[in-house]
Amino acid sequence: MTQPAPASPVYWRFNPEVFRLIGIKCNDCGHISYPRTKICHECGSLNLEEYKLAKKGTVHTYCVNWAPPPNFEPPITPVIVDLESGGRYQGLMTETATPEDVKVNSKVEMVLRKLTTDRGLNVYGYKFRLVEED
Amino acid sequence: MRGKVAVIGVGMIKFGELFDKSLETMVQEAYLNCLNNVDKGIDPKEIKAAWFGQWSGGFIGQGAQSGQSLASFIGNRDIPVTRLENGCPTGGDTFRHACLGVASGLYDVVLALGAEKMRDKPSAESLGGAGSGGGAETGSHPAWMMGQGGPAIQALHATRQMYELGYTMEDFARVAVKNHHNGTFCPYAHYQFELTIERVLGSYVVCWPLHLFDCCPQTDGAAAAIVCRADLAKKYTDKPVYVLGSNVGTDHSQLWDRNSLVEQLSSVKAARGAFEMAGIKPKDVDFGELHDCFTNTELMNIEDVGFARKGEAARMLKDGEFDMHGRLPINPSGGLKSHGHPIAATGLGQIFEVVTQLREEADKRQVKLKKGIGVQHNVGGPAFGVSVFNILSRSQ
Amino acid sequence: MAGIIGYGVYIPRYRLEQKEAAMPWGSWSPGEKSVCGMDEDVVTMAAEAMDKAINHAGIDPAQVGAIHIGTTSSPYIEQYVAPILAEILGLQPETTMIDYSGSLNALANALLGCLDAIAAKRIKCGIVIGAEDRATAPGADGDATFGAGAVAMVIGTTGTIADFEGLHTYSTYFLDRWHAVTDSWVSNWNDYRFDREYGYQKHVAEACKGLVSKLGKTGQDYTYAVFPQPDDRIAALPAKDLGVPRESLAPAISSTLGDLGSCSVFISLAGILDKAKPGETILLASYGSGASNAMSLIVRTQIGRKRKRVVPLEKYIARKQYITYTSYLRLREHLKRAPY
Repeated sequence: MTQPAPASPVYWRFNPEVFRLIGIKCNDCGHISYPRTKICHECGSLNLEEYKLAKKGTVHTYCVNWAPPPNFEPPITPVIVDLESGGRYQGLMTETATPEDVKVNSKVEMVLRKLTTDRGLNVYGYKFRLVEED
Repeated sequence: MRGKVAVIGVGMIKFGELFDKSLETMVQEAYLNCLNNVDKGIDPKEIKAAWFGQWSGGFIGQGAQSGQSLASFIGNRDIPVTRLENGCPTGGDTFRHACLGVASGLYDVVLALGAEKMRDKPSAESLGGAGSGGGAETGSHPAWMMGQGGPAIQALHATRQMYELGYTMEDFARVAVKNHHNGTFCPYAHYQFELTIERVLGSYVVCWPLHLFDCCPQTDGAAAAIVCRADLAKKYTDKPVYVLGSNVGTDHSQLWDRNSLVEQLSSVKAARGAFEMAGIKPKDVDFGELHDCFTNTELMNIEDVGFARKGEAARMLKDGEFDMHGRLPINPSGGLKSHGHPIAATGLGQIFEVVTQLREEADKRQVKLKKGIGVQHNVGGPAFGVSVFNILSRSQ
Repeated sequence: MAGIIGYGVYIPRYRLEQKEAAMPWGSWSPGEKSVCGMDEDVVTMAAEAMDKAINHAGIDPAQVGAIHIGTTSSPYIEQYVAPILAEILGLQPETTMIDYSGSLNALANALLGCLDAIAAKRIKCGIVIGAEDRATAPGADGDATFGAGAVAMVIGTTGTIADFEGLHTYSTYFLDRWHAVTDSWVSNWNDYRFDREYGYQKHVAEACKGLVSKLGKTGQDYTYAVFPQPDDRIAALPAKDLGVPRESLAPAISSTLGDLGSCSVFISLAGILDKAKPGETILLASYGSGASNAMSLIVRTQIGRKRKRVVPLEKYIARKQYITYTSYLRLREHLKRAPY
């Protein structure tokens, strides 16, 4: 029997990033990213500090995938979001009634969702939901 | 590189869904075609080193492949062989390493061969494998990786091209129409049928804004090139083709680190470095084989490698500048759109086309040559962060 | 005694008309209910309610000394939900993390545990979170009536919007609803009269009577009375026994959101707190499997000051999108695709 993915050390290592959005900011070039790293991917600097990403932002780009990998129910809407904290985040939309609801610059916020299940073990992480204007 | 390396033979097989051919069979056929292409003949034992481009290994059912696989298949286990993988640029980069082998002065004659068997799995599986559906298999987390894959990544770029540059789905479809038309003249293409814009836009939406016919097919194939010292080339052929420049460019490995999603910096850097190496400019180029894995990608590539300003490629395409008999033919072979993308074979298949065109042996799809310079380009990898650019010429 | 510093609720947006799940099996149920989306479960719902509660309370999560979860629909029999939510808040490993289950009294038990920990001075502040997405099967009455939702309360002694004045418990061995390990759905003893009167009505009334007499009050003294709502009419039964006037009862939610299980009474409480004024009093009782916990609350002035940070229950009720019975069958995994 192979190890259920959710129980793998790969996922456990990323708990701070996935659940608390702890990313990294370069004090030399200002690049904000995740997951945490020791060397800035943008400029190669070692002068980095932990940085908390925001849960809210606007859509930078999106697509609507009608042919996702096996075991995923189409359509799924991957998005890349410009976060209020700076930095970009890649994820999926949830609760879009029709895929056409999402546009570039739509306001979105992160909500916890069940991403996948393997042998009864769930993997949780954030997806994006449209912010409803009052 | 300029003045040191020449191509003396190229070979490929017809790309397609080759259910009756194994990886080994494809490798052997491409290799033999390549040997036969050396017009003054060559003794296989003159090949002193080889690079084997093979992207997927066991990932989509081909089993682990190393240099030994090629050595074994071609019946020559007396030479050093290395397996090479560098994303979608694997083929072009395999060619580049062969050139480096010769340019280093260590080897006189070397072989570059790339082969990929995608269709031992159903298309959806190899497509998913090529994109990794997301999860521990990517060494990353599903929160960031779910639903990613070739079509999704290019579709994310396409949405941005539409938003920032005013490109339309019709602009993208036009690329497919051009390349399918070119493909009807190429006997090696997987698909040989014409398309119209209506048919492209009417095909089912794979990953909005990309339709079925915006995407290249899943295909099997193999291609090879024999490369030697420039000053020895005439011993093997009256029509050697010289390598003026060869470069790889890299950019971020994750999409969210990238600055702009209407350009791929890896292509920009690969091309810029190659042009510097060659001492020429984009306007000196007669034609190019650029990596059109998806239609919108071709427009991006044309701009990234320096053939158009950002935002101009769609209009120039519409004006016919990139047609087979236009000012700057792009993908006269029919591109990945017609050939499919057997990943490691693709780049070498493009080299085959560039060399064939420069030797004026391209028959019904021959483009007009002015300076006799052609280019080959791939871009790919997880966030399309790696690219290869080779510049070839019929004169030194 | 300690009190509620802040609270939050979450209701999924999807709605099914209850009759859609009842009529194919020859029965009927009024109104509509909330349904979890494909990527939602008790953990994801609890996370949003928790977020809203922390925001309303205005506390730094680092102050939370205990996290108590109450649910009968955890995805696991062995595996904790509390640590997942603790991870999201960034709580230290020294925090007490407990899952309460076993009956629809679970969330009340979680709350009592938190109050006990504060009274024993082991912690200053805790968070109590309930979520339900109960297992159902086609034709079982729960399939038409069970709704999904979550509620969270930050409990402590500083900055409270409402304080607990008293607690009283009343429990006996009584069988009404159950979910055995060998079943994949919740079942009902099917003797409504017996269940309603000797189960729900009796235990709620006794718990409340014990509480009010302890406090020297009567049922009529309370501004509001909040009891669980497996349906819209049952709360009236113990209310009558206690002399609580109809108008004091919390508004019906069962025909709007469905039977919210152990969350029901606390989601109703949230709805009351969305509008309550300082000085008003609330009589609340939980019920599950023969156990009832009665609580008396008094509303404080902080409630007005913090009110603008509340995301009210009615906002979640208004946020809705209807689904068909076929979609519902697939969401609940009653209908599965052939494996190959």
